[in-house]
Amino acid sequence: MHLSWLELTEVRCYETLRFEPDPGVNVLVGSNGAGKTSILESVAYLGLLRSFRGTPDEAIVRSGEENAVIRGEFEIESGTVRVEVEIPRSGRRRVLVNGKRPTRNRDVMAQVPIVAFQPDDLDLVKRGPGLRRAYLDDLAAQLWPQAGAVQQDYDRAVRQRNTLLKQAGRGADGVTLDVWDERVATAGAAVYRHRMDVLEALDAAIGEAYRLVGERGALTWSYTTNWGGDPQGENVERLQGALLERRPRDMDQRVTSAGPHRDDPSLVVDGRPARTMASQGEQRTVALAMRVAAYRVLAARRSMQPILLLDDVFSELDATHTRGVMSLLDDGQVLVTSAREDEVPAIGRRWIADGRNIR
Amino acid sequence: MFEPPVQRLVDELARLPGIGRKSAQRLAFHLLNAEETDAVRLADAITSMRREVRLCTRCFNVTAEEECSICRDLRRDTSIVCVVERAQDIPVIEKTGEFSGRYHVLGGAISPIEGIGPDQLRARELLDRIDAENITEVIVAANPTLEGDATAMFLARMLKPLGVKVTRLASGLPVGGDLDYADEITLGRALSGRKEL
Repeated sequence: MHLSWLELTEVRCYETLRFEPDPGVNVLVGSNGAGKTSILESVAYLGLLRSFRGTPDEAIVRSGEENAVIRGEFEIESGTVRVEVEIPRSGRRRVLVNGKRPTRNRDVMAQVPIVAFQPDDLDLVKRGPGLRRAYLDDLAAQLWPQAGAVQQDYDRAVRQRNTLLKQAGRGADGVTLDVWDERVATAGAAVYRHRMDVLEALDAAIGEAYRLVGERGALTWSYTTNWGGDPQGENVERLQGALLERRPRDMDQRVTSAGPHRDDPSLVVDGRPARTMASQGEQRTVALAMRVAAYRVLAARRSMQPILLLDDVFSELDATHTRGVMSLLDDGQVLVTSAREDEVPAIGRRWIADGRNIR
Repeated sequence: MFEPPVQRLVDELARLPGIGRKSAQRLAFHLLNAEETDAVRLADAITSMRREVRLCTRCFNVTAEEECSICRDLRRDTSIVCVVERAQDIPVIEKTGEFSGRYHVLGGAISPIEGIGPDQLRARELLDRIDAENITEVIVAANPTLEGDATAMFLARMLKPLGVKVTRLASGLPVGGDLDYADEITLGRALSGRKEL
């Protein structure tokens, strides 16, 4: 799979831009602020439908403008997929896949698998469990379309239940709460199931990726829930039971306190939690291994190479780790950015970005 | 900006669902250039609809009478009721010709985010009809959305203790469609709702 063209209108620093990358390796060079990352961000947006910088959508709209448009066409085995997104400064964005609105936005993730490496990936290891849950959920949605749909259902069910609790607190109607408990439990158990499937798929890949980036320790996952989730069991009733048990507390605190949205996936190196490991360098290699593993799982299970986006990653890596990342660059499409051309140890088409155009 | 009388119409038209600025302008100028009688007929249709139409006292369908034509129809099976979110869902089900009972318009689906709970819906009214009309089956034809599902579940909880049979419309594959083209969500629901032959 590869991106055949990308068109930007009023995106970040670009008034308009058309970019037709090679199907192989593309190296984007330019000084800081030359718009290299904005191009990668736009490509990632077409696959993930949000910014990989974690910024709100309106930040993507060029200053002084009302609407940003990102369009791109992907060549896949069975034909082409064109994804078009219109992002207004305020209001609802519009997504079209092959000219039609997708049933659910997260469906797009399974159509065009993209893996992005970026400097902020360190947060995956260092910060709270939210980013790691998102990592697992994103990977699930890229592997199985159904996973993206239940994630959307789950988020909405939790939001509905929370809103009910906020509005009514202790006065919330019992039957209405029962109904939302049931929706939260059904979707939540499915979200959990998909996360377990992802962990199983990642199990071998993450350890292998860790060795691939040059480390010797054993990297594994640990996953804990506050509602008794059981990888081997049926979880709808478990979650529903936990919600019922916590209902008095939830009514007081006006928030849903149990469920996959509070689960804690974490990484363990030789029995020690990666989050508390001393060296930032060690944490960086764990984050790197997470991305490498995601890439390899996607490539193996989807029978197509995901598009690989490497945003300014080589400046942070030593030679061993760089070799690990480079070993991924078999035949898939890669977009690499760097401030210094000599830093990128890859042969490919060179592009110069100057803030207005790229050639 | 157009002259005030034109602009006022453009603004009003643009408030309608599915009508953007551009379409509103096109419609306004069409009405301006059309025969005056055409424009007056449209204006009259709108005002008389608002004046004459009200809600059926039984099922809350739109009607010009005390009760809607379906509720007044003596040939309909009064023991079975199909619950819909909105009145405009009724003609859709009527067209199938597969349903001969009466309806009940809920007025939406349970959605705390939008401030809609059971009290904002006509659930109480449905409950009152069960005994009064000897209803034995309720078909919930709420939309196949998260909120529609929650509403169906709520109605089931409310009605089952009364000994009423509560069913939900099946969701699945479009007839005449190709399995290849079904999205995974629909196919997944079709699988879990499969029928023995």
